[in-house]
Amino acid sequence: MIDATGTAEGWKRFVTVFLVALSGSVVCVYLFILLVDPYGIIPFSLPFERRIVSISQAFVYPQIVLSKKYDSLIIGTSTSRLLDPEYLGGRFNVRLANLAMNAMRAWEQREMIDYFGRRVGPPKVLIVGIDRVWCDQDADVVRHNPYGWPNWIYDDNRWNDYLYLFNQPTVEIAVRLMGNKLGLYRERIRFDGFEVFTPPESTYDLDRARQHIWQDVKPETSSNPTLLTLSLAEKASLSFPALKWLDETLQSLPISTVKVLAFMPVHIAEQPWPGTKDAAVEAECKTQIVEIARKSGSKVVDWRIHSPITREDVNYWDNIHYRLPIAQRIQQELADAILKGKDSHDGSYHILVR
Amino acid sequence: MLFQSQFYVAVFLPIVMGCYYAAAHSERARHWVLIASSLFFYTWWDARFLPLLLGQIGATWFLTTYHRCSSSLVPLRIGILLNLASLATFKYLDFIIDLIEAAIGFQLPRANFVLPLGISFFSFQLISYLIDRMRGDAPIYPLRVFALFVLVFPHLVAGPIVRHNELIPQLVLNPLREGVYRRLSTGFIIFTVGLAKKVLLADRLAPVVDPLFKKAHLQMLSLGEAWSAGLGFSLQLFLDFSAYTEMAIGTALMFGLLLPENFVRPYLSSDIREFWRRWHISLSTLIRDYLYIPLGGSRNGPLRYVLATIVTMSLCGLWHGAGWTFVAWGVWHGSGLVLHRGWQRVGYPLSKMAGWLVTMVFVLVGWVLFRSNNFATAWAILSSLTGSNGYSGALQGGTTLVIAAVVSFFMPSAHEIKDRFALPYPALAVGAAALVVFCLLEVGKGAPSNFIYFQF
Repeated sequence: MIDATGTAEGWKRFVTVFLVALSGSVVCVYLFILLVDPYGIIPFSLPFERRIVSISQAFVYPQIVLSKKYDSLIIGTSTSRLLDPEYLGGRFNVRLANLAMNAMRAWEQREMIDYFGRRVGPPKVLIVGIDRVWCDQDADVVRHNPYGWPNWIYDDNRWNDYLYLFNQPTVEIAVRLMGNKLGLYRERIRFDGFEVFTPPESTYDLDRARQHIWQDVKPETSSNPTLLTLSLAEKASLSFPALKWLDETLQSLPISTVKVLAFMPVHIAEQPWPGTKDAAVEAECKTQIVEIARKSGSKVVDWRIHSPITREDVNYWDNIHYRLPIAQRIQQELADAILKGKDSHDGSYHILVR
Repeated sequence: MLFQSQFYVAVFLPIVMGCYYAAAHSERARHWVLIASSLFFYTWWDARFLPLLLGQIGATWFLTTYHRCSSSLVPLRIGILLNLASLATFKYLDFIIDLIEAAIGFQLPRANFVLPLGISFFSFQLISYLIDRMRGDAPIYPLRVFALFVLVFPHLVAGPIVRHNELIPQLVLNPLREGVYRRLSTGFIIFTVGLAKKVLLADRLAPVVDPLFKKAHLQMLSLGEAWSAGLGFSLQLFLDFSAYTEMAIGTALMFGLLLPENFVRPYLSSDIREFWRRWHISLSTLIRDYLYIPLGGSRNGPLRYVLATIVTMSLCGLWHGAGWTFVAWGVWHGSGLVLHRGWQRVGYPLSKMAGWLVTMVFVLVGWVLFRSNNFATAWAILSSLTGSNGYSGALQGGTTLVIAAVVSFFMPSAHEIKDRFALPYPALAVGAAALVVFCLLEVGKGAPSNFIYFQF
């Protein structure tokens, strides 16, 4: 039978080719994803060592946990990412992974600590890099970072992961992983989560850094900064939703876990200007964190102060990110402060809870 | 369930098609397959509205059947009022309360009803059937066939609005009848075109358009931003809605059913009348036949014509949403149609290009009103379009805008593809399959986004 624009046989062949091509492609792509398992999360994938070839941290870090190579973790935002878990693990005598992520929200940090606990067990050492996200008054509203947070990976159901893997970024990472196995594509993040994400030190330009540090900053001054405190009513009206999560998380850990809260050293341009209401609010948040830490037997070290580190532009790439030598100094000071109770020789940090 | 979702393409559609074709030789069995799958499709979103949908269908059918016994028109009038009342309650109640509030001067409680999905579409379909019945143009159908006419999932949620005499005769035809492979093939192609338009173009325009309309809520835009917002939304709306229609028509063809044409490259229109012959055709012909002509149309003098046009287009605007910006959009288009007719009478025809340019600017201004949440936002964008806030800024999303414009201007309509451009070349089949896979991978990045017309 002849149709207007082709024979019936031709149309039949079209249907066959379309269905075979479509179903064949879908099956092949999906099978490739499942066998390569680029996030290292699903049961029954090919058994080979997976390196981290993507910077989509929320997606690729769970495999670090699932590998069970590590018994301790660092969590936080990008201000904690330059802490080398190899160095700190050696000092604390544990196997430490750095699971801090760029722009990681407080809720996500809590989720990651919880995930670690469920998959590996209570950590031997937990270091939480404390940033503004813990004091955000809308922390319970803005729970996720802008880069995406795959709740399906962090739940207890590993079988539902199959529903979320058929997408372009996953295919791309799977291809990269194969490329890495063939020596064509480099590892992007060390398997313990450590990555020097700042530019090479040789390219550092102080003038440019100053532009990044001081852009959009309008220092506010108070005639009598030391006297600006919040009234009881103002304190009562403050709400730090994330601190409830911090409290619950720390309380849930056994006494044997070494719990460290470290206020990370952002530049003074990023810190609230002394004497302002923002500074008073932050001080109140710090006070509450210290109380939470005391209840759970945690140690608290504070670099988020005006200090020889945070006052010097030359220590920073921008208002948040310090340079690699500073990172090395902080990790050394952190280990000394926690393990030896050593105070800072130049006031770069305060030990708030020993 | 969204047409572009992985679940729809990879699970729902293959299973339903398998069952449908397995039951092809039994009319009753394949009807039940379509009814069951359509109910599943609808309840996937929100099962709460299923009683409303089934209630409207059941009441309409019961009243038409009763009318046959009583021969009085009262049951049919009651049916029309019931469907209108349902639409008024769920879609317009808060709008009506707003009007009363403005009149009496004190606050009243709001209903805050959630809009049942597709209510504007299935209510209009039922009303058109009741009117046809009053005119003696519609038979009484068996309940199963009548329910299927409304429920069949490709057109249930956002059209094309199908009339009983367009669809019901097809429901009795065996889908395995002659031409089955051609229908399947063209269905696959048309669906693929719609899927690609939605996923690769319309959804990529949204991040350009949405922030600009949001920004205009608070402040004026630069010239570049205003034109990005206006052009971007004009293209996004067309690509989004025509993509939905193509996926609907493509899906229906896979089941051996032909749905009516809804868009024929409307942005090539060189006058506003032509635009309405090419844009949302199933709605414009419906309001022409059931509203404009009964109101007097164009054959009862100029005054009656103006009145009929403005009233019809205002109600068309209101059909899209319970808000004054929608009414203003309708009045804007009604005025445009009246002016166009007047200009024709004067006898100074514009060149094709000048006519196109005037029409497109006119349509764009209308879309700004249509998209804005209030008149202040619309005014901020419209005045920024003229450069009242300076002449700075560049077009945003430039490459996407250009590709979207080219596709909008030149992509053949669903029926044109079916009749002229779908050819049984194996290479085309492979290309279409590859495009579907690519779109599915793209959709898998996150939750698929709704179609704009779902809110109407």
